[in-house]
Amino acid sequence: MKKIISLIVVAGLAFVSGCGKSNSSSGGSSNVTGGKKITVALMPKSKGNAYFISCKKGADKAANELGVDLVFDGPTDPDPAKQNEIVENWITLGVDAIAVACENREGISTALRKAKAKGIKVVTYDADALPNARDFFVNQATPEGIGYGLMDEAARLCGNEGEFAIITASLTAANMIEWQKYIEAHRADKYPNMKMIALRPCDDMKDKAQSEATALLSANPNLKCIMAICSPAVPGSAEAIKQAGKIGKVKLLGLGLPNENKRYVHDGVTDSVILWKTEDLGYLAVFAADALAKGDLKPGDKTIKAGPLGELQIEGDSILLGKPFIFNKSNIDQFDF
Amino acid sequence: MHTAKQGFRAILLRHETILLFVVLLEWLYFNSVGPRFGSVDNTFDIMRHSVEIGLLALVMTPIILTGGIDLSVGSLLGLCAISFGKFWRDAGMPIPLAAACTIGIGALAGGLNATLITWLRLPPLIVTLGTFSLFRGLAEAITRGADTFTNFPASFLFLGQERWLGIPAQASSFILVSIGIWLLVHRTTFGRSFRAIGFAPEGTRYAGISVERRLAMAYVLAGIIAAVAAIIYTSRLGQAKADAGMGYELFAITAVVLGGTSIFGGIGTVHGTLLGVAAIAVLNNGLVHARQSREVAGMLTGLLLILALTSSIIPKMLASLKTRRQTLATKPIIT
Repeated sequence: MKKIISLIVVAGLAFVSGCGKSNSSSGGSSNVTGGKKITVALMPKSKGNAYFISCKKGADKAANELGVDLVFDGPTDPDPAKQNEIVENWITLGVDAIAVACENREGISTALRKAKAKGIKVVTYDADALPNARDFFVNQATPEGIGYGLMDEAARLCGNEGEFAIITASLTAANMIEWQKYIEAHRADKYPNMKMIALRPCDDMKDKAQSEATALLSANPNLKCIMAICSPAVPGSAEAIKQAGKIGKVKLLGLGLPNENKRYVHDGVTDSVILWKTEDLGYLAVFAADALAKGDLKPGDKTIKAGPLGELQIEGDSILLGKPFIFNKSNIDQFDF
Repeated sequence: MHTAKQGFRAILLRHETILLFVVLLEWLYFNSVGPRFGSVDNTFDIMRHSVEIGLLALVMTPIILTGGIDLSVGSLLGLCAISFGKFWRDAGMPIPLAAACTIGIGALAGGLNATLITWLRLPPLIVTLGTFSLFRGLAEAITRGADTFTNFPASFLFLGQERWLGIPAQASSFILVSIGIWLLVHRTTFGRSFRAIGFAPEGTRYAGISVERRLAMAYVLAGIIAAVAAIIYTSRLGQAKADAGMGYELFAITAVVLGGTSIFGGIGTVHGTLLGVAAIAVLNNGLVHARQSREVAGMLTGLLLILALTSSIIPKMLASLKTRRQTLATKPIIT
């Protein structure tokens, strides 16, 4: 009997050790240049999210080019303490730099400050922590960049004149209020013949967005363009325009992920989807973390030369990824997230 | 001599002993692949990360021993965390008073479970499934899902983040609760009756034991300790939000069952639960040091659970098979 038990235990451990060997080459082929190899640990908000999987693609590319040993891990369940635990594990593991997309701004800062105190360089990307908990924030898009980008594209689609409406997540969401401020400022400044006639909340739900868009379409026959500034509102509005039979007559643009809009873009319902290139974001996060660890990037620097991304601006302690990217019929199939 | 050998063999085959070997093997394996795994710092990391779930598993043990279950402890941790934040920030209470009031909330919530289970005689699974949603819903409603409590004073954060007497500060409270629960379950008649209830509730009642009072006590205790876990959690993260402790009830139940407690009640030990907590915690931490991704942890925890359960059942099955074969062999064949 004892034999059977020990057999089971040994078999179990053999399985564990088998798993252990398979992953040692996650850093990819690298050109170690004599000195110590830098280890960068990268954390998404959650692991299964297509957005972050796409970030990781860019991160892997950066790790390969720079000869960085990349550790990638993140929460797989909704436990907010997980990010902290992973960071604490990394501190013990002795990584050189950490790059985190923060789920909980204040909560994660406790762990990140601890990492900084141990001499580990800390970068945040996608979503920031408290400023004193990290060295740099890789900012994928400023509110100004998003606001101006949306307004420019809307004006281009409408030929610089006509009525447009905005569908937002909620009237109180801080980031969206910020974007609207810049949309309006840019409109008043550059496109005085464009007129915003309505601002409707969709509670971050696709079906609510659809009914709001339907109502907008029937109430405003002169409506030329819908601007959907939260991601569920883009496919929601597209469905409304399609069902109202106004494809082509009413333009649609919005902030969202390429994958959930591909169908509508190909059908000609949605004209433009605006977002940043997530691969570039992952690339830059690892690039900046590596540069910090090597001492090539220091507080107070005004620019950073990030390989294929070129020379990027640094505003205070946030590294700007640059202008948002416009996905449309011609390029959307090249992206998978 | 023969009996001594038998006794040794019985101890060796005991579930807890096997589990202890599993923990040791895990430790040895991870120590060989992760250079920093065996360090003091990492050992303290493991302790720090497993205290909240460990506390919940500890109080879950008497409940499962009675044949019950408490699915609401994770949600209650969330409710207590934001209550604590409310008491401190919005009601302006000093930390110790806020902590005391939070424990009061935990006791009340545990009392609600206890009342529904003992007075109305509703099944614990259904009752705590209800309060599982209720407590989390309350926490979300109070904070509207977005309000976050932070900026706690450093003296409070000490509890979750610093060392006291050389070990992580929260570990001392965990050790105290462990000893307390162990003594309660294994060394008092009160605690022993939990197992009696699990074996045969009606029988226990006929034996003159107040089953209701003891059941109620187990659920109130769970509420109180969930509140303690909430305070430690808040201190460790430096933040209280409505999503605190999400999914912790299942981790706690896993640890208890892995520790050899029968889900039908009646059988189980507190030290088994502690080993169960250790086995899961070491696995989760060790996989990071083995450069393994997190998904593997969930898979292996499941595998470990199934393995542990079967390894304690297989010997019994083999034994019964053997006796059956023997009786078959000796049985006269009637044609």
